[in-house]
Order: sequence, then structure tokens, then C-alpha cells
Amino acid sequence: MSHYLPVAGCKDEPLYAIGARFESPDALVHAVETLRKNGYSSYECFTPYPLHGLPEAMRLKKSILSFLVLGGGITAVLIALSMELIPSTLIYPLIVDGKPLNLSALPQYIPITVALTLMIGAITAVAGMILLGGMPRLNNPMFAWDLFCAESYRGFFLAVEANDRKFSAASLKELLHDLGGHEITAIHQEAPEGR
Amino acid sequence: MTNETDAPDLSVLARPPQVLNNRGPRWVTDAVCSIVESKTPLWWYAAITLSGTFAAIGGACILYMIVTGVGVWGSNSPCFWAWDITNFIFWVSMAHAGSLISALLFLTRQKWSLSISRAAEAMTVFAIVCAGVYPAIHIGRVWFVWFLFPVPNSYGMWPNFSSPLLWDVFAVTSYLTVSSLFWFAGMVPDLAVLRDRATTKIRKFCYGIFSLGWLGTTRQWRHYEMMYVLLAGLTSVLVVTVTTIVASDCATSVVPGWHATIFPFYFMVGAVYSGSAAVLTLLIPLRVVYPQLKDLITPSQLDKVCKLLLMMGSCVAYVYVMELFNAWYSANTFERGAFWERFNGSCAWYAITCLSINLTIPQLFWFKAVRRCLPLVFILAILCNVGMWFERFMIVTSTLTHDFLPSSWGNFHPTIVDILTATGTLGIFFTLFLLFIRFVPIMSMNELKAALPGTQPTFAHNSTGEGH
Repeated sequence: MSHYLPVAGCKDEPLYAIGARFESPDALVHAVETLRKNGYSSYECFTPYPLHGLPEAMRLKKSILSFLVLGGGITAVLIALSMELIPSTLIYPLIVDGKPLNLSALPQYIPITVALTLMIGAITAVAGMILLGGMPRLNNPMFAWDLFCAESYRGFFLAVEANDRKFSAASLKELLHDLGGHEITAIHQEAPEGR
Repeated sequence: MTNETDAPDLSVLARPPQVLNNRGPRWVTDAVCSIVESKTPLWWYAAITLSGTFAAIGGACILYMIVTGVGVWGSNSPCFWAWDITNFIFWVSMAHAGSLISALLFLTRQKWSLSISRAAEAMTVFAIVCAGVYPAIHIGRVWFVWFLFPVPNSYGMWPNFSSPLLWDVFAVTSYLTVSSLFWFAGMVPDLAVLRDRATTKIRKFCYGIFSLGWLGTTRQWRHYEMMYVLLAGLTSVLVVTVTTIVASDCATSVVPGWHATIFPFYFMVGAVYSGSAAVLTLLIPLRVVYPQLKDLITPSQLDKVCKLLLMMGSCVAYVYVMELFNAWYSANTFERGAFWERFNGSCAWYAITCLSINLTIPQLFWFKAVRRCLPLVFILAILCNVGMWFERFMIVTSTLTHDFLPSSWGNFHPTIVDILTATGTLGIFFTLFLLFIRFVPIMSMNELKAALPGTQPTFAHNSTGEGH
């Protein structure tokens, strides 16, 4: 039914989503709330900067990244302590000035442990942000939409994906239009190279 | 009962605007991107030729040192550490203010730092690169640098994990890694903006690769914001631990003049002091060559950096006085002797230069007229860093040349290789900074736009309160 709408991408390829552009953050948040109330669940918003209240409107859960970083940090403590203590006490005990190697020597192993914990924690945070955000990715069906490519750095976009249970191009067109969406477009996948 | 006319005027309490002249988000994007997208200015070629030449000469000196030996430096017995460690401490310290401005001020929701944090982070990364030049080469036989890392080897030999010098290796490695990640990860959404605006295929490809396929979906922003808070927290801790560890290089020894518990604090405040000065040194000319930045890097923000400089400069002054007091109060002959020699011996001029700059220059920032006169601030900030370099030189050299035994006292004179390697690191720093200005967005556009008035949903303020 998407032929009522302007088409982006290759018409013969499967429909990926219906996209719309909104004028203001308020309109976008309102649109998301209405979509959710109407039972849509597979949609995504694209904003040039983080919008307060949008994740709440989408009912997104808190990012699990902090737990991953905690896990990374604990792992790092274990790695660092075993890296230091196994050689220093078992394999290659270095006795300097007759100082003991028992528990009283623990403080001298703290600086490296702290440094490694922070480093591995930071690596986990960045890797987690990249992977949880679905990156790195060389292409995306949204790139078929020229307007999105050119304007996503300053416009507020919404795309309802075709795999949504309630998806119907005709009713979505009407709904998005009523919510203040402009340039409502059917985004098809792009034709593979060489066809 | 008060009516409206009696209500106190609260406008004086309002924070100064983040961006002057009521600029909107579109203007911010255009202003920041235009630096990267416009034609390369002539001054840029001239500047990078100059800094690149210094960097190349520095590189040649390092190569010469490696193939000949550390004898080409002025380091000697008893001054085994000289300009190598002086410059290492100087650069690693300068790095600290960048992390502090971006991470600690972010955590404390000091929004004034938003427009200068990216440049400050870049400064951090490049200063650590310059610092990292020295530790590896100063060991003399550079090909044995892997001894520093716990690599299982056929000698069955392991590093001494209780040595502060090894702590240093880990501290600097993790500092470089974390601050690079903090800098890069914060830049991903802005690189995506440059990708979307790119007009040539090469630009689109390069920015496309480095922006990792960022689309700005709400899920991505959610994880991104969480990551930013976490990294800011980790970096804030790291700033303190790295300086503490670098200070431990000196403080855990028994040499009089180094063996003091005040050292970690000493290095920390000195670090933020020199780093704030470096931020001012870099940002004030940037505003001049790119006039559109005058609305983004506002006099009010620079004023706050000056105040940070003043506060840290005063802490540094306190430490100088405290150090002298402790030397006297300890009643330890060697400790007293070390400080007597510091101001009266052959190295006296380092200490006198250092103190005369660091005790006076930052105190000028008490005056608003000084803080508002940017050309003056620029010159004073450079002087502060000169003072700080002399402080590092004083700490390292004058202490080593005057230890317990007068019979083993010596002196230090830098050689031409020392000098050209040091100017080489300056060259590396400015070359990297010039590349940064030219090829990546120098300000965090997404953070700035999110903080502008009127860019957030109006009703979200009540439900979510103070957000990112």
C-alpha cells in the first residue's frame, strides 16, 4: 500500500519502514506517546542530540551499560591482582630490603590494580556503547532516504518499522500526518550492488 | 504580603548564557562544522610547517639518541634524571586539566565547560602523547622497553610490581587509553554530523568509518549518555591516581627534597594549574582565528578558567611555602640542606624563576580587569606554563644534584639534543592540535545543542528534572 507515499530506496525491494520528519522535539515526543498508545512497538526516533523525556515516552529501560562496566571493573581487579601477585610471590619473588611478601605487602599492588581497573572499565564502557547501539555498522536501511541522510543532523525523525504487528501503511500515513509529521516516506531497502 | 513589584530582581542570579547572541542549534552546527568544511586557511599551513619541522627535528634527535646512547643528553651522575623526566612530568601534568575540565565539571553539571571540553580533552590526549615520548627512550636501551611489561619470557624474569616506576607505566598507559577513548567516544555523534554534511566521497567515507554508523537513535543516545557519565566518573578518578603515581616516583625515594607526603597533592594542583593555563593558551588564539567561536567560547567561560587557574595557583603557592616550612620544622639536616641548596646552590636560578612566576602571576587573576583582558590572559597563561616547567626542572634536577653527600654533588647542563628533543615535543603537541582543529569538530555540538534554551521538549522538564 506504500505507493500512496513518496518512496525512498528501491521500490521492488521489501519495505523497511515508514518515516516522517517532525518540526519540534515536542511534536516528536507527542507522536511517540500516541504511537505507543495505539499499540505500535517497533519504531525508532532519530534526533541530533539527546532529548529529555523521549526515552521515557518510548518506555525504554535504563541502559545496562553501568552493570557491564561494573563487571568489567571486577574482572579487571582479578586480572590485575593475579598478574601482580602470581609472579611476585610464586614465580619470581623479588625481595627488596627484606620486606615481606605476605598480606602486609598488599598496598604496593594497589596502584596498578586501580589503573588497570579504570582502563578496562573505560574500554568496556566504550565497547558496550558501540555494540549496544548496534554499531559499528557500514550501512543502514535508513540511508536509502536521501532527506534523512541530508537532514538527520538537525531534524527530528521517526521511523515505524514494517515488522511492527500493527503496521499498515495507509493508517500510519494518516496517523503520522495528524501528529504533525512532514515528508512522510515509505523507505524501501536499497537494491543490492550489481543488480 | 508582597506584590509583584516588591519581589527581588532575580535576574542577577541567572547563569551567563552558554552561547551568546541567542544562537540556535543550527547556527552552532554551522559554526563548528564550518571550521572543518571551509578551505584550509594559509596560516594553518604556515603553522603546521613550523610545528612539523620542530617535531621532525625532535624525532631526529630521538633517533640520534637511540643509535648513539643517552650520553648525548646532559644527564650525568648524580643527575640521572634530567630533562627527560622534567618534560615527562611537565606534559603529563598539563594533560590533567583537560580531563578535569571535561570529566569533573561534567559530573558536577558545570555546563559552562561544554564548549571548551572537547578541545581540553584533545589537549589531554596530545600532551600524554608528548609525555609518552620520554619514558620509553629514557631507559637508554630502547629495545629492552618490553622489560617494563609483564610479558612471560625465556629469561623467567618479571618486573618489580612494587616499584613506582612500574606503576607509572601502567598509570600512563591507562591514562592515554582512557582519555583517548573519552575523547573519541564523545566525538562519534559529531563525526556523524560531518559525515552527513560531507560533500566529497573521501570525506563521506572517512567520517563514515569513524562515526561507526551512528544514527542518533534514542537507544543509541541512551547508551551514549550512560557511557559518558561512566567515563567521566572513571576519568575523574584516573586524574587523581595518575598524578599521585607520578608523584610517587619522587616521593617514595629517600632523596631529601623528594621524600615528602605532600608530593601527590603538590603534583595534582600543579597539574591542574598548568593545564588550565594551557587551555587558555590554546583557546584564546582559536577565538581570534575563527571569529564565529566568539559566541561559543565566551569571555565568561574563559573568566571561569582563569578563576580555576587562580585557585590552583594559590594551592601551588601554599605547597611551596609548606614545603619550606616542613624542611625547617623537620629539623632534619639533609632536608634543610636540600632546600638551602635549592635557593643558594648552582641551581638557584631554576627555583627563583619558578617561584617568582608561580607566586605572582596567578595572583593577578584576582582582578576582573586582568581576567577580562584576553591578550593579557594569553601572555600570563604562557608565563604560568614557563613557571611550571621550571618547577618540574627544579624538583627533578636541583634535588638530584644535591643529595646527602656533598662529595657526590654535581650539576646539570642541557645539551643541544636535550633542547631540540624538548622543542620537538612542543612541535608534536602543536602539530597534533592543528590537525585536530582542521579535521574533527572542536566542540561537542550535541552537548551544546542539548543544553541550549528551547531545544528540549517543554513538558519533559517537570517529569525528568535536571537531565544531561
